[in-house]
Amino acid sequence: MHLSNETMNVGFVKKVEALSGSSVRRCFQCGKCSAGCPMSAFMEHPPNRVVRLLQLGQGERVLAGRSIWYCASCETCSTRCPNKVDLASIMDALRKLSWDADGPSKESYVQLANRLFIENIRTYGRQYELRLGAAFNMKSGQFLKDLMLGPKLLSKGKLKMFHSKNKNIAAIEGIFKRIEEMRKKGEAL
Amino acid sequence: MTATKKQMNYSFYPGCSLHASGREYDISTRAAFKALNVGLKDVPNWFCCGATPAHNVDELLSLSLCAKNLNLAEEVEGELAVACAACFSRLKTTQHHLKADDNKRKQVEIAIDGPAALGKPVKHILEILARDFGLAKLEENVKKPLMGLKVACYYGCLLTRPPGVPDLDDCEDPSIMEDILRALGAEPVKWSHRMECCGANFTLSRPGVVLRLSGAILESAQLAGADCIMVACPLCHSNLDVRQASIEDKSRIDYDTPIFYVTQLVALALGVAGNKLGFESVIVDPRPLLTKKQLL
Repeated sequence: MHLSNETMNVGFVKKVEALSGSSVRRCFQCGKCSAGCPMSAFMEHPPNRVVRLLQLGQGERVLAGRSIWYCASCETCSTRCPNKVDLASIMDALRKLSWDADGPSKESYVQLANRLFIENIRTYGRQYELRLGAAFNMKSGQFLKDLMLGPKLLSKGKLKMFHSKNKNIAAIEGIFKRIEEMRKKGEAL
Repeated sequence: MTATKKQMNYSFYPGCSLHASGREYDISTRAAFKALNVGLKDVPNWFCCGATPAHNVDELLSLSLCAKNLNLAEEVEGELAVACAACFSRLKTTQHHLKADDNKRKQVEIAIDGPAALGKPVKHILEILARDFGLAKLEENVKKPLMGLKVACYYGCLLTRPPGVPDLDDCEDPSIMEDILRALGAEPVKWSHRMECCGANFTLSRPGVVLRLSGAILESAQLAGADCIMVACPLCHSNLDVRQASIEDKSRIDYDTPIFYVTQLVALALGVAGNKLGFESVIVDPRPLLTKKQLL
């Protein structure tokens, strides 16, 4: 990799540090985060390499992969880092930047699940699990996924067929709206 | 606070799972607290804390949803009891961040259109049982000791991590679940996977992840000689219980390992009838095991 002002995006790294409240520069590459990460086997860049790429100003390479979407937010990395690099928060920040940019990530299923989950909050207030599962299958084109599970869970009382809207639904909508407005005005990241 | 004989009362944030896929956690929590004469009053019209998906992509949204729920909790007296590990984690994280970061708090207060109330202690029911009520008193109240039941206590991720946020127990080597189990007369086993991730909300997007991670947890518990696994999180429960048949198909190992919520075992030991703890809702039926151990 040839490193120069042209190939390093330092502004991106500063944004990540501002959003996460954690330094990426403190990392000295001991690899403890990746050793303890339950998801590193699913990632093309394990956690310590994500940090290294950020240190080298290669944020775009991180976002282009699927690593950030395969983080389970288990917080093991942040717990074990000897330099107090809060990698779990850095992952949150990276996902937000990728999400906002509607970036080129290869992982669409996790993003779809997140989107539907958040839409469910805005529409109903509380999670409507049956709708969440059904909408995921429809929108991901996996019509048969967990098909046998639905009736089993319904019969056990673990899924509810019907779901009423939360009484605070207007207050919830207000939260979404005001956050959107703050961002439009540049008052929040 | 001075010690009084007044009844202990808590406000209660059940969370979405306890009203659907984790209904037996809700039923058994209320049953256990009733048996101990500890009051639980629901936060009126509480809504989703945002769980993992919200903070995954939008921290400000996550903090705001939790802050609004914390404000709603002010309408009910008593410290805030939470059963779901994820809701507990999000509410504690919100308090932690908003107390530490004025800028974040100001943004959240704009989002929720009012001041954020951050003073009410948020407590997981494990700490209410083990510390507020107390292990010695819990043991005194046991009517049916869970003799001979070998249990793998599974903490998962969010009860203890990251350091300084949930503040429930040691991040790497907690003991609060084992302590409660011993008070109930059961036998906690030593095993390797009590702090490992179950695959969490990949159950919706990438269930293959859950099959692999939860499979390793079931295998470890079986190798340690556990009869069952005890959890305090509805998503961990769902991954280990609902996905167990698929894990067995994939690994070609028979586990048949019942997954209990901590409150199901607490209530059972306190003498609550076995047919009132939602055992019929569990996919891997725990009743044959409990009958074999003469606990039903």
